[in-house]
Amino acid sequence: MNNKAKRAGAVSAGVLALSVCPSLAFAEEEAAGINAILPDMLEFIPMLIAFIILWIILAKFGWPMFNGMLEKRENTIREALKQSEEAKIESERVLAEYKEQLADAKAQAAKVIADARATGEAVKADIEAKAEASAHDMIEKAKATIAAEKKAAIAELQASIADTSVDVAAKLIGNDLTEGEHRAIIERYVKEAGSFNGN
Amino acid sequence: MATNRLVTKEKIAVYAKTMFAAAREAGGQDSAVEVRNQLKQLCSLIYADMELSGALMGTEYTPQVRADLARAVFADCNPALREVMAVMAENRDIDLITGVYHAYEDNLKADMNIAVVDVVTVVPLDDELRKLIEKKAETDLGVNAVLNESIDASILGGIIMSVNGKRIDASMISQLNRARHTLKNTDGGES
Repeated sequence: MNNKAKRAGAVSAGVLALSVCPSLAFAEEEAAGINAILPDMLEFIPMLIAFIILWIILAKFGWPMFNGMLEKRENTIREALKQSEEAKIESERVLAEYKEQLADAKAQAAKVIADARATGEAVKADIEAKAEASAHDMIEKAKATIAAEKKAAIAELQASIADTSVDVAAKLIGNDLTEGEHRAIIERYVKEAGSFNGN
Repeated sequence: MATNRLVTKEKIAVYAKTMFAAAREAGGQDSAVEVRNQLKQLCSLIYADMELSGALMGTEYTPQVRADLARAVFADCNPALREVMAVMAENRDIDLITGVYHAYEDNLKADMNIAVVDVVTVVPLDDELRKLIEKKAETDLGVNAVLNESIDASILGGIIMSVNGKRIDASMISQLNRARHTLKNTDGGES
Protein backbone atom coordinates (compact mmCIF):
# COMPACT_ATOMS: atom_id res chain seq x y z
CA MET A 1 0.00 0.00 0.00
CA ASN A 2 2.76 2.37 0.87
CA ASN A 3 4.81 1.55 -2.28
CA LYS A 4 1.76 2.09 -4.45
CA ALA A 5 1.12 5.39 -2.86
CA LYS A 6 4.77 6.47 -3.31
CA ARG A 7 4.67 5.41 -6.99
CA ALA A 8 1.48 7.29 -7.63
CA GLY A 9 2.98 10.36 -6.02
CA ALA A 10 6.05 10.20 -8.32
CA VAL A 11 3.92 9.92 -11.42
CA SER A 12 1.83 12.81 -10.38
CA ALA A 13 4.96 14.92 -9.77
CA GLY A 14 6.30 14.04 -13.27
CA VAL A 15 3.02 14.96 -14.97
CA LEU A 16 3.00 18.22 -13.08
CA ALA A 17 6.58 19.02 -14.08
CA LEU A 18 5.80 18.27 -17.76
CA SER A 19 2.70 20.39 -17.70
CA VAL A 20 4.61 23.34 -16.17
CA CYS A 21 7.66 23.07 -18.39
CA PRO A 22 6.49 21.48 -21.73
CA SER A 23 9.39 22.97 -23.74
CA LEU A 24 12.13 21.35 -21.64
CA ALA A 25 11.97 18.01 -23.45
CA PHE A 26 11.81 19.71 -26.75
CA ALA A 27 14.99 21.81 -26.09
CA GLU A 28 17.01 18.73 -25.11
CA GLU A 29 16.37 17.30 -28.53
CA GLU A 30 17.73 20.34 -30.43
CA ALA A 31 20.73 21.37 -28.23
CA ALA A 32 23.94 21.83 -30.16
CA GLY A 33 26.99 24.31 -30.38
CA ILE A 34 26.99 27.63 -28.50
CA ASN A 35 23.31 27.13 -27.86
CA ALA A 36 24.30 24.41 -25.57
CA ILE A 37 25.60 26.97 -22.98
CA LEU A 38 23.08 29.73 -23.62
CA PRO A 39 19.78 29.63 -21.77
CA ASP A 40 16.80 28.86 -23.77
CA MET A 41 14.43 31.73 -23.36
CA LEU A 42 11.51 29.36 -23.54
CA GLU A 43 12.92 27.56 -20.51
CA PHE A 44 14.63 30.48 -18.91
CA ILE A 45 11.71 32.84 -18.59
CA PRO A 46 9.32 30.33 -17.01
CA MET A 47 12.09 29.27 -14.73
CA LEU A 48 12.81 32.89 -13.89
CA ILE A 49 9.18 33.53 -13.32
CA ALA A 50 8.94 30.44 -11.21
CA PHE A 51 12.07 31.50 -9.36
CA ILE A 52 10.73 35.00 -8.79
CA ILE A 53 7.42 33.61 -7.66
CA LEU A 54 9.24 31.24 -5.39
CA TRP A 55 11.49 34.03 -4.16
CA ILE A 56 8.48 36.28 -3.51
CA ILE A 57 6.69 33.50 -1.71
CA LEU A 58 9.74 32.74 0.32
CA ALA A 59 10.44 36.42 0.90
CA LYS A 60 6.85 36.98 1.83
CA PHE A 61 6.23 33.97 3.99
CA GLY A 62 9.36 31.94 4.53
CA TRP A 63 11.91 34.58 5.37
CA PRO A 64 9.83 36.32 8.09
CA MET A 65 9.07 32.99 9.59
CA PHE A 66 12.73 32.02 9.38
CA ASN A 67 13.79 35.42 10.61
CA GLY A 68 11.26 35.16 13.40
CA MET A 69 12.60 31.78 14.29
CA LEU A 70 16.15 33.16 14.28
CA GLU A 71 15.15 36.13 16.38
CA LYS A 72 13.23 33.91 18.71
CA ARG A 73 16.18 31.61 18.93
CA GLU A 74 18.49 34.55 19.42
CA ASN A 75 16.27 35.94 22.12
CA THR A 76 16.04 32.57 23.72
CA ILE A 77 19.79 32.20 23.69
CA ARG A 78 20.28 35.81 24.86
CA GLU A 79 17.76 35.28 27.62
CA ALA A 80 19.39 32.03 28.53
CA LEU A 81 22.79 33.71 28.57
CA LYS A 82 21.38 36.57 30.61
CA GLN A 83 19.74 34.21 33.02
CA SER A 84 22.91 32.21 33.12
CA GLU A 85 24.89 35.38 33.83
CA GLU A 86 22.43 36.41 36.50
CA ALA A 87 22.49 32.96 37.94
CA LYS A 88 26.24 33.08 37.91
CA ILE A 89 26.24 36.48 39.61
CA GLU A 90 23.63 35.31 42.07
CA SER A 91 25.54 32.15 42.74
CA GLU A 92 28.70 34.15 43.24
CA ARG A 93 26.85 36.53 45.55
CA VAL A 94 25.33 33.63 47.43
CA LEU A 95 28.70 31.94 47.56
CA ALA A 96 30.28 35.11 48.89
CA GLU A 97 27.45 35.46 51.35
CA TYR A 98 27.86 31.86 52.40
CA LYS A 99 31.56 32.36 52.72
CA GLU A 100 30.96 35.45 54.81
CA GLN A 101 28.40 33.65 56.94
CA LEU A 102 30.74 30.73 57.25
CA ALA A 103 33.52 33.06 58.32
CA ASP A 104 31.16 34.73 60.78
CA ALA A 105 30.03 31.36 62.03
CA LYS A 106 33.62 30.25 62.42
CA ALA A 107 34.49 33.45 64.22
CA GLN A 108 31.41 33.15 66.39
CA ALA A 109 32.17 29.52 67.11
CA ALA A 110 35.71 30.44 68.01
CA LYS A 111 34.41 33.20 70.23
CA VAL A 112 31.91 30.86 71.87
CA ILE A 113 34.63 28.31 72.44
CA ALA A 114 36.93 30.99 73.84
CA ASP A 115 34.14 32.30 76.05
CA ALA A 116 33.26 28.82 77.18
CA ARG A 117 36.91 28.11 77.89
CA ALA A 118 37.24 31.36 79.83
CA THR A 119 34.02 30.69 81.70
CA GLY A 120 35.18 27.19 82.45
CA GLU A 121 38.47 28.50 83.72
CA ALA A 122 36.69 31.07 85.86
CA VAL A 123 34.27 28.48 87.23
CA LYS A 124 37.14 26.13 87.88
CA ALA A 125 39.08 28.85 89.66
CA ASP A 126 35.98 29.85 91.62
CA ILE A 127 35.28 26.27 92.65
CA GLU A 128 38.89 25.79 93.64
CA ALA A 129 38.87 29.04 95.61
CA LYS A 130 35.63 28.08 97.34
CA ALA A 131 36.90 24.63 98.09
CA GLU A 132 40.10 26.08 99.45
CA ALA A 133 38.22 28.64 101.52
CA SER A 134 35.85 25.98 102.78
CA ALA A 135 38.72 23.72 103.71
CA HIS A 136 40.50 26.61 105.39
CA ASP A 137 37.34 27.53 107.24
CA MET A 138 36.82 23.96 108.37
CA ILE A 139 40.38 23.77 109.56
CA GLU A 140 40.05 27.05 111.41
CA LYS A 141 36.79 25.92 113.00
CA ALA A 142 38.34 22.62 113.97
CA LYS A 143 41.30 24.46 115.45
CA ALA A 144 38.99 26.80 117.31
CA THR A 145 36.92 23.91 118.59
CA ILE A 146 40.01 22.05 119.70
CA ALA A 147 41.38 25.18 121.34
CA ALA A 148 38.07 25.84 123.09
CA GLU A 149 37.82 22.26 124.28
CA LYS A 150 41.41 22.34 125.39
CA LYS A 151 40.84 25.61 127.20
CA ALA A 152 37.67 24.27 128.81
CA ALA A 153 39.50 21.12 129.89
CA ILE A 154 42.34 23.16 131.32
CA ALA A 155 39.91 25.49 133.06
CA GLU A 156 38.02 22.54 134.48
CA LEU A 157 41.24 20.94 135.64
CA GLN A 158 42.40 24.27 137.01
CA ALA A 159 39.13 24.74 138.87
CA SER A 160 39.31 21.25 140.23
CA ILE A 161 42.88 21.80 141.40
CA ALA A 162 41.91 25.15 142.87
CA ASP A 163 38.95 23.67 144.73
CA THR A 164 41.03 20.80 146.01
CA SER A 165 43.88 23.07 147.05
CA VAL A 166 41.61 25.49 148.82
CA ASP A 167 39.70 22.71 150.54
CA VAL A 168 42.95 21.17 151.71
CA ALA A 169 44.17 24.55 152.89
CA ALA A 170 40.90 25.17 154.70
CA LYS A 171 41.11 21.83 156.46
CA LEU A 172 44.71 22.43 157.38
CA ILE A 173 43.89 25.87 158.76
CA GLY A 174 40.83 24.64 160.62
CA ASN A 175 42.56 21.67 162.14
CA ASP A 176 46.11 22.74 162.68
CA LEU A 177 45.90 26.28 164.02
CA THR A 178 45.78 26.77 167.77
CA GLU A 179 43.83 29.52 169.47
CA GLY A 180 47.05 31.43 170.01
CA GLU A 181 47.89 31.20 166.35
CA HIS A 182 44.38 32.33 165.45
CA ARG A 183 44.71 35.32 167.75
CA ALA A 184 48.09 36.16 166.30
CA ILE A 185 46.58 36.06 162.84
CA ILE A 186 43.67 38.25 163.97
CA GLU A 187 46.06 40.75 165.47
CA ARG A 188 48.10 40.90 162.30
CA TYR A 189 45.01 41.23 160.12
CA VAL A 190 43.59 44.01 162.29
CA LYS A 191 46.84 45.91 162.06
CA GLU A 192 47.08 45.38 158.31
CA ALA A 193 43.40 45.93 157.60
CA GLY A 194 42.20 49.01 155.79
CA SER A 195 40.29 51.82 157.42
CA PHE A 196 36.56 51.86 158.12
CA ASN A 197 36.57 55.14 156.29
CA GLY A 198 37.43 53.28 153.12
CA ASN A 199 41.13 54.23 152.93
CA MET B 1 1.13 67.39 151.87
CA ALA B 2 3.68 64.94 153.09
CA THR B 3 4.65 62.18 150.72
CA ASN B 4 4.56 58.51 151.73
CA ARG B 5 8.34 58.54 151.76
CA LEU B 6 8.48 61.34 154.29
CA VAL B 7 5.81 59.69 156.41
CA THR B 8 7.75 56.46 156.36
CA LYS B 9 10.96 58.25 157.28
CA GLU B 10 9.18 59.95 160.17
CA LYS B 11 7.75 56.66 161.37
CA ILE B 12 11.19 55.07 161.32
CA ALA B 13 12.67 57.95 163.28
CA VAL B 14 9.93 57.74 165.89
CA TYR B 15 10.29 53.99 166.34
CA ALA B 16 14.10 54.22 166.61
CA LYS B 17 14.04 57.15 168.99
CA THR B 18 11.43 55.52 171.19
CA MET B 19 13.36 52.30 171.30
CA PHE B 20 16.62 54.06 172.05
CA ALA B 21 15.15 56.24 174.78
CA ALA B 22 13.48 53.28 176.47
CA ALA B 23 16.62 51.16 176.33
CA ARG B 24 18.82 53.96 177.58
CA GLU B 25 16.45 54.72 180.44
CA ALA B 26 16.25 51.08 181.37
CA GLY B 27 19.93 50.24 181.44
CA GLY B 28 22.12 52.96 180.01
CA GLN B 29 24.74 52.17 177.39
CA ASP B 30 24.78 48.43 177.98
CA SER B 31 21.05 48.17 177.45
CA ALA B 32 21.16 50.44 174.43
CA VAL B 33 23.92 48.32 172.86
CA GLU B 34 22.05 45.14 173.72
CA VAL B 35 18.94 46.43 171.96
CA ARG B 36 21.02 47.36 168.93
CA ASN B 37 22.52 43.87 168.75
CA GLN B 38 19.18 42.19 169.17
CA LEU B 39 17.62 44.51 166.60
CA LYS B 40 20.29 43.51 164.13
CA GLN B 41 19.49 39.84 164.68
CA LEU B 42 15.79 40.53 164.24
CA CYS B 43 16.45 42.19 160.89
CA SER B 44 17.95 38.97 159.61
CA LEU B 45 15.20 36.90 161.22
CA ILE B 46 12.34 38.93 159.77
CA TYR B 47 13.70 38.75 156.25
CA ALA B 48 14.65 35.08 156.57
CA ASP B 49 11.33 33.89 157.99
CA MET B 50 8.63 34.84 155.55
CA GLU B 51 5.98 33.09 157.60
CA LEU B 52 6.78 35.24 160.62
CA SER B 53 6.95 38.47 158.67
CA GLY B 54 3.74 37.52 156.89
CA ALA B 55 1.97 36.93 160.14
CA LEU B 56 3.20 40.19 161.67
CA MET B 57 2.12 42.10 158.53
CA GLY B 58 -1.00 40.09 157.74
CA THR B 59 -4.38 41.78 157.47
CA GLU B 60 -6.13 38.58 158.44
CA TYR B 61 -5.16 39.29 162.04
CA THR B 62 -6.37 42.18 164.10
CA PRO B 63 -3.83 44.77 165.27
CA GLN B 64 -4.09 43.48 168.80
CA VAL B 65 -3.43 39.91 167.71
CA ARG B 66 -0.37 41.03 165.74
CA ALA B 67 0.95 42.98 168.76
CA ASP B 68 0.43 39.99 171.05
CA LEU B 69 2.14 37.76 168.51
CA ALA B 70 5.15 40.07 168.40
CA ARG B 71 5.38 40.16 172.17
CA ALA B 72 5.26 36.38 172.28
CA VAL B 73 7.85 35.87 169.55
CA PHE B 74 10.26 38.46 170.95
CA ALA B 75 9.69 37.62 174.59
CA ASP B 76 13.38 37.02 175.26
CA CYS B 77 14.43 40.35 173.82
CA ASN B 78 15.02 43.56 175.70
CA PRO B 79 11.64 44.99 176.82
CA ALA B 80 12.25 48.24 174.96
CA LEU B 81 12.77 46.35 171.74
CA ARG B 82 9.89 43.99 172.39
CA GLU B 83 7.37 46.72 173.02
CA VAL B 84 8.36 48.79 170.02
CA MET B 85 8.21 45.70 167.83
CA ALA B 86 4.73 45.05 169.17
CA VAL B 87 3.66 48.54 168.17
CA MET B 88 5.25 48.12 164.74
CA ALA B 89 3.38 44.84 164.28
CA GLU B 90 0.17 46.49 165.41
CA ASN B 91 0.66 49.17 162.75
CA ARG B 92 1.83 46.69 160.14
CA ASP B 93 5.23 48.42 159.99
CA ILE B 94 7.45 45.39 160.55
CA ASP B 95 8.92 45.83 157.05
CA LEU B 96 10.51 49.08 158.31
CA ILE B 97 12.79 47.20 160.70
CA THR B 98 15.97 47.70 158.68
CA GLY B 99 15.40 51.43 158.57
CA VAL B 100 14.72 51.43 162.29
CA TYR B 101 17.99 49.58 162.87
CA HIS B 102 20.02 52.17 160.95
CA ALA B 103 18.21 55.03 162.65
CA TYR B 104 18.88 53.40 166.02
CA GLU B 105 22.60 53.26 165.23
CA ASP B 106 22.46 56.94 164.32
CA ASN B 107 20.88 57.63 167.72
CA LEU B 108 23.63 55.68 169.44
CA LYS B 109 26.25 57.69 167.70
CA ALA B 110 24.53 61.04 168.12
CA ASP B 111 23.39 60.73 171.72
CA MET B 112 26.00 58.45 173.26
CA ASN B 113 28.92 58.99 170.86
CA ILE B 114 29.38 55.27 170.38
CA ALA B 115 29.55 52.94 167.37
CA VAL B 116 28.95 49.25 167.74
CA VAL B 117 31.49 47.17 165.83
CA ASP B 118 30.32 43.69 164.90
CA VAL B 119 33.29 41.38 165.15
CA VAL B 120 33.26 37.80 163.85
CA THR B 121 36.15 35.47 164.68
CA VAL B 122 36.83 31.75 165.02
CA VAL B 123 38.15 32.00 168.56
CA PRO B 124 37.01 34.32 171.36
CA LEU B 125 38.82 37.62 171.57
CA ASP B 126 41.10 38.35 174.50
CA ASP B 127 41.36 41.76 176.09
CA GLU B 128 44.40 42.69 174.11
CA LEU B 129 42.63 42.07 170.82
CA ARG B 130 39.54 43.90 172.04
CA LYS B 131 41.61 46.95 172.87
CA LEU B 132 43.36 46.77 169.53
CA ILE B 133 40.09 46.56 167.60
CA GLU B 134 38.42 49.28 169.68
CA LYS B 135 41.39 51.54 169.18
CA LYS B 136 41.35 51.00 165.46
CA ALA B 137 37.61 51.67 165.24
CA GLU B 138 37.85 54.77 167.39
CA THR B 139 40.74 56.06 165.29
CA ASP B 140 38.87 55.45 162.05
CA LEU B 141 35.40 56.59 163.16
CA GLY B 142 36.16 59.25 165.76
CA VAL B 143 33.69 57.81 168.27
CA ASN B 144 33.81 55.35 171.12
CA ALA B 145 33.71 51.78 169.89
CA VAL B 146 31.75 48.99 171.48
CA LEU B 147 32.34 45.50 170.22
CA ASN B 148 29.59 43.02 169.42
CA GLU B 149 31.51 39.76 169.32
CA SER B 150 30.40 36.53 167.69
CA ILE B 151 32.09 33.23 166.89
CA ASP B 152 31.75 31.63 163.47
CA ALA B 153 33.97 28.66 162.63
CA SER B 154 33.03 28.85 158.99
CA ILE B 155 35.33 31.84 158.43
CA LEU B 156 38.25 29.47 159.27
CA GLY B 157 40.39 32.22 160.72
CA GLY B 158 41.05 35.93 160.69
CA ILE B 159 38.39 38.49 161.46
CA ILE B 160 35.38 40.25 159.97
CA MET B 161 34.56 43.70 161.30
CA SER B 162 31.56 45.78 160.33
CA VAL B 163 30.17 49.05 161.60
CA ASN B 164 27.61 51.48 160.25
CA GLY B 165 27.30 49.51 157.03
CA LYS B 166 31.06 49.43 156.47
CA ARG B 167 32.75 46.07 156.48
CA ILE B 168 36.34 44.87 156.69
CA ASP B 169 36.60 41.20 155.74
CA ALA B 170 39.98 39.83 156.77
CA SER B 171 38.77 36.27 157.19
CA MET B 172 40.66 33.27 155.87
CA ILE B 173 37.63 31.94 154.07
CA SER B 174 37.47 35.14 152.05
CA GLN B 175 41.16 34.99 151.27
CA LEU B 176 40.88 31.38 150.24
CA ASN B 177 37.89 32.18 148.07
CA ARG B 178 39.82 34.98 146.43
CA ALA B 179 42.70 32.56 145.88
CA ARG B 180 40.26 30.01 144.47
CA HIS B 181 38.83 32.63 142.15
CA THR B 182 42.30 33.69 141.04
CA LEU B 183 43.39 30.13 140.40
CA LYS B 184 40.26 29.37 138.42
CA ASN B 185 40.43 32.47 136.30
CA THR B 186 44.14 32.64 135.69
CA ASP B 187 45.19 31.58 132.24
CA GLY B 188 47.23 28.44 132.54
CA GLY B 189 49.79 29.75 130.09
CA GLU B 190 48.02 28.33 127.08
CA SER B 191 47.35 30.75 124.31
